[in-house]
Amino acid sequence: MSVIERNNVHLQGSGDRAMVFAHGFGCDQNMWRFVAPEFEKDFRVVLFDHVGAGGSDLSAYDPRKYSTLSGYADDVVEIGNELSLKDAVFVGHSVSAMIGVLASLKAPGMFGRLVLVGPSARYIDEVGYVGGFSEKQIEELLEFLEDNHMGWSAAMAPTIMGNPDRPELGEELTNSFCRTDPEIAKAFARVTFKSDNRADLSKVSVPTLILQCKEDIIASMQVGEFVHRQIPGSEMVVLDATGHCPNLSAPKEVVSAMQTFV
Amino acid sequence: MTTSEDFKDLFENAPCGYLTMAPDGRITRVNQTLCAWTGYACDDFAGKRVHQFLNMAGRIYFETHIAPLLRMQGFFNEFALDFLTAGGDRMPVIANAVEQRSDDGSLLSTRLVVIKAVDRRRYERELVEARALATESLKSERETADLREQFIAVLGHDLRNPLAAISAGARILQRSGALKDQKELRVLDMINTTVTRMSDLIDDILDFARGRLGGGITLNRDRRPLQPVLEQVVDELRTASPGRLIETSFEFTDPILCDGKRIGQLLSNLLGNALTHGSHDQPVRVGARTGNGIFELWVANAGNPIPESAMERLFEPFFRGDVRDSRQGLGLGLHIASQIARAHGGRIDVTSTPDETRFVFSMPLNQGNGGTSR
Repeated sequence: MSVIERNNVHLQGSGDRAMVFAHGFGCDQNMWRFVAPEFEKDFRVVLFDHVGAGGSDLSAYDPRKYSTLSGYADDVVEIGNELSLKDAVFVGHSVSAMIGVLASLKAPGMFGRLVLVGPSARYIDEVGYVGGFSEKQIEELLEFLEDNHMGWSAAMAPTIMGNPDRPELGEELTNSFCRTDPEIAKAFARVTFKSDNRADLSKVSVPTLILQCKEDIIASMQVGEFVHRQIPGSEMVVLDATGHCPNLSAPKEVVSAMQTFV
Repeated sequence: MTTSEDFKDLFENAPCGYLTMAPDGRITRVNQTLCAWTGYACDDFAGKRVHQFLNMAGRIYFETHIAPLLRMQGFFNEFALDFLTAGGDRMPVIANAVEQRSDDGSLLSTRLVVIKAVDRRRYERELVEARALATESLKSERETADLREQFIAVLGHDLRNPLAAISAGARILQRSGALKDQKELRVLDMINTTVTRMSDLIDDILDFARGRLGGGITLNRDRRPLQPVLEQVVDELRTASPGRLIETSFEFTDPILCDGKRIGQLLSNLLGNALTHGSHDQPVRVGARTGNGIFELWVANAGNPIPESAMERLFEPFFRGDVRDSRQGLGLGLHIASQIARAHGGRIDVTSTPDETRFVFSMPLNQGNGGTSR
């Protein structure tokens, strides 16, 4: 199985430079449906699903590899190598913001610019640091995820995975954008919310744009400002949008801030 | 009462909670039912965002799954949430949500229907926990079983080496001619017999372990004539059971694709069984034939029939019936025979009456490429 199939990579648009969009915890590459098309004119747009999400190859899910964000960053680098990316723009939402930071450190030259949408380098509070969550709340989340299987059943997986083109939303495809094997969803939540990448931020050497929503309970203003302070020379744009997914709730604002940056 | 009042009452006092959000996620309307359930005044909801009334896990889930899914597919049904009541208690619910969109697709509002589901959610949680427990114990059972079987396999191998040394020592003594005394020679014979028996027991243990290690018994199939193999097995057992009569009848018309060594072992186990349990003053009959696309091999003896209670456990490993004689095997003979039959895509059937006890092995002659067909 190639990297392209493993990560359900889709290529669109044309241009000298590439723009890679990475989705966060919860859903899949469809999260970029209102944003990515706007860049197809000037960029080679690369969309993919993290292994375990969306139309990725579930059999490639290795619990050990994906127990750290570094494992996910390795996949991004592999995709970049496969597509011979140089000086590309990496756009990462939520946890993929940090995955992009790690990938840019692993493969210097691959990514020339980073766009971090709703980033957080550490979700759990510590002495002297406000992440927004307590350890206990994250444990509750892991348990709660089991209450929402979103119609997942193992028997249905082949149907979902066999429809990479996602024609019309059929009965069995309902919720499929955000449906994951419950075990994998739990593991991804664990690695997401227990990660700590604060020490990596200062190593970032490429121009970085931080897109921060004004009211976001997952990645608060404080958390975004921390990322901004730690990444040398980074820019921060506060969007008028509320919630954690401005790429869906305020795509126009996101697109316009990105266009100015790239 | 006018119709409009009916609808207003239906909205406010429906047996479910209603909640409407503006495009920015702020609550614009809730019904009386939801206010009563949560213990808040309806005014408390106005202008707030729904996650302010959820526990932290629900908030994260709302932001990472529900909100994006609503934007992508316009609705989301049957999701679990936990509201936090004014008193600080959890109120588990099941909810559906749908977006109202204008003609150009822009979001006008989002409607949420909330159904109290304390018992159902508790029941579901118990199911989830029961499944986790079952998965866990299955895993630990498997680990124990793997370990046990590996242990048997290793043990079987380690037992062979000292046995080979004893056998070699006995052979040296025999060849040297150093032993003259009758008593000493009898001891030497006994050593040889015991080594052979021990070796057979180890073979059985290894076959049993192999059969249980997942892959089952492996076969080396060819079409070489089977009759000489079967005759040799019968001869060996004749020699080992002096004074017993074994009658044979073989009718082979078709070549048989099988593992001759294993079929020989199967016959040896069935015949050994018949000699042990059958009447000692009547012949044991062995037959084999091909015909109608089937190969059949049978062993029949006279004597007491197999008790009904023993019938169904006959092929289970370590089953020894009423025999408690220490010279008997481990109770693996019939089990291994049945495993050999199964590996060949065949089966062993038993009939036992006061006149005769008969074990019949049958397998299809035509067996694709190693596949089983019955």
